[in-house]
Amino acid sequence: MNKLLEVNQLKTYFFTDNGTIPSVDGVSFSIDKGQTTAIVGESGCGKSVTSYSIMRLVDSPGKIVNGEVQFEGKDLTKVTEKEMRTVRGNEISMIFQEPLTSLNPVIKIGNQLDEILILHQKMSRIKAKKQSIAMLQKVGIPRGEQIYRSYPHELSGGMRQRVMIAMALSCNPKLLIADEPTTALDVTIQAQILKLMKKLTEDYQTSILLITHDLGVVAEIADRVIVMYSGQVVEEADVFTLFANPKHPYTRGLLASTLQLDEYKGNLDTIQGNVPSPSNKPTGCYFHPRCPVAKDICRKEMPQLKNLEQTNNRVRCWLFEDEKEGLLHAENA
Amino acid sequence: MWKYFIRRLLQVPPVIFIITLMIFGLVYIAGDPVLMMLPADATPQEIQQLRHALGFDQPFYIQFGNYIMDLLRGDFGDSYQYGEPALSLVLERLPATLELATASMIVAIIIAIPLGIWSAIKPNTFIDLFATGFSVLGKAIPNFWLGIMLILIFAVNLHILPVSGTGTWWHLVLPSITLGTAMSAEITRLVRSNMLEIMSQDFIRTARSKGLTSFIVIFKHAFRNSLVPVITITFLQAAALVGGSLITEMIFAWPGLGQLIIQAVYEKDLPIIQAAVFVTALMIILINLLTDVLYRILDPRIKFN
Repeated sequence: MNKLLEVNQLKTYFFTDNGTIPSVDGVSFSIDKGQTTAIVGESGCGKSVTSYSIMRLVDSPGKIVNGEVQFEGKDLTKVTEKEMRTVRGNEISMIFQEPLTSLNPVIKIGNQLDEILILHQKMSRIKAKKQSIAMLQKVGIPRGEQIYRSYPHELSGGMRQRVMIAMALSCNPKLLIADEPTTALDVTIQAQILKLMKKLTEDYQTSILLITHDLGVVAEIADRVIVMYSGQVVEEADVFTLFANPKHPYTRGLLASTLQLDEYKGNLDTIQGNVPSPSNKPTGCYFHPRCPVAKDICRKEMPQLKNLEQTNNRVRCWLFEDEKEGLLHAENA
Repeated sequence: MWKYFIRRLLQVPPVIFIITLMIFGLVYIAGDPVLMMLPADATPQEIQQLRHALGFDQPFYIQFGNYIMDLLRGDFGDSYQYGEPALSLVLERLPATLELATASMIVAIIIAIPLGIWSAIKPNTFIDLFATGFSVLGKAIPNFWLGIMLILIFAVNLHILPVSGTGTWWHLVLPSITLGTAMSAEITRLVRSNMLEIMSQDFIRTARSKGLTSFIVIFKHAFRNSLVPVITITFLQAAALVGGSLITEMIFAWPGLGQLIIQAVYEKDLPIIQAAVFVTALMIILINLLTDVLYRILDPRIKFN
């Protein structure tokens, strides 16, 4: 058993005045120890909500309505809030998209770093300070002592993201959830931050769950990739297979719409249409209205997420189902 | 910080000069008080003599110059009613007013901050509804009515608190609740709306993702961020109280500045009015200075220069 985290049939719904919005709609996947898994998808596909659900940080009116999140033999959806707090920041920690607003503006960097060590590692203030400064140096901040005494607004975006990484890794967590960690940074800083994350997680043997819409970032650091569409996993594969031989029409569309440096394409390809409104999803496969190869059955029935022969890779598409069985199914339904 | 503080202190004298000019100018326009000081059957010679003796026949700038010179010696003139130096009469009343203002502020803070925070972290629940209702009522109920009702219930019927006057801490309870309730109404709403906004900020999510307890998230990470506007309103209201709260002081026979000023206005006792306005203005300047320094301590993004 090499599995660190196992998400099963997770459903997180938002109960708003305008109806129920199934933001995460039966998502299952697992993360192995030491592995970097990326969840990709367009805005609103539920990838961030999936990560908040794992941490149980979904705010009202959102609620986890079904499923389990197995982590080290515990189902995180069932443990008490007190137990959950010993997991957050300690065994699973998180970094966020906006380094500019993710640190508290009125508390010194040092204090924000120390409090997590004092809380989870039961360190004394003096020891925590030493450790925090050491962590700042590890994330490539040379003047750790000085930054320790600074306020967040005195640092640049890249520096603040480094501070966030230092904070997230300071308790040596088993899983780091990175929610679009480089989206708000410019390209050179992006590369630095990605390199830093990769190096540190290798040093600490931390698994990463990377939430992103940037396939370049995925190619850079992920081992496995989960593609989400409209609250569901539509494809899961190792990074090489996914880029070399994408199965789901949505994944193919995503890859086709990226920019290749070595070929001239004129206009970039796009996927026709928009993401379906979460409160009014199409029947059958959620992707069928935008799918170039949609068949009759795609409009009627939702395909299952199925393992492809002799691999760990999975896809949710009628093209790869046993066609006869699928059609029979549709007729019976 | 000290540099900022000293620079701010240096701004105080010009402000005071302008205030003095305004106080003096208004009284100058209001006409000379000699006629009031003499009996009705005084002859024009007598009036002229007194005007000359008091310097009212001199041009405005000389009168104002003399006035400033007197002020620098702490001399606002003698009260017409009591024949004593006006400034010392005002300063005699000041402690009572400050005592009541401080107590009211404490009452307001004790009510407003927990209620505001509570309703922000449980929005649209019973407690939130209660807090909203409390704020609306607190703002809508006039002080004179609330004061009289409190006296009726706690002093007249239940006999647990004194009706009016000063002397013990118990005397402070009813007037400070009367003033504090109205103050807290506004602060509660402000704390609530600020906390609601802060609680949805990214850094609060970061704090929660670190595994901190809700208590620490709310008080260490959220509340401090919401304080700047709250401090502004609280101190503005406190500033309004240091001039004496006329109605509440009357109801509870509280010997503060408010009573003194009202009496002085009835009697056209100009030295007292001038001294009281001057002292109040000075207090408000000091409170504003304190507020500005507090901002910079609470929020490091506001610079000292």
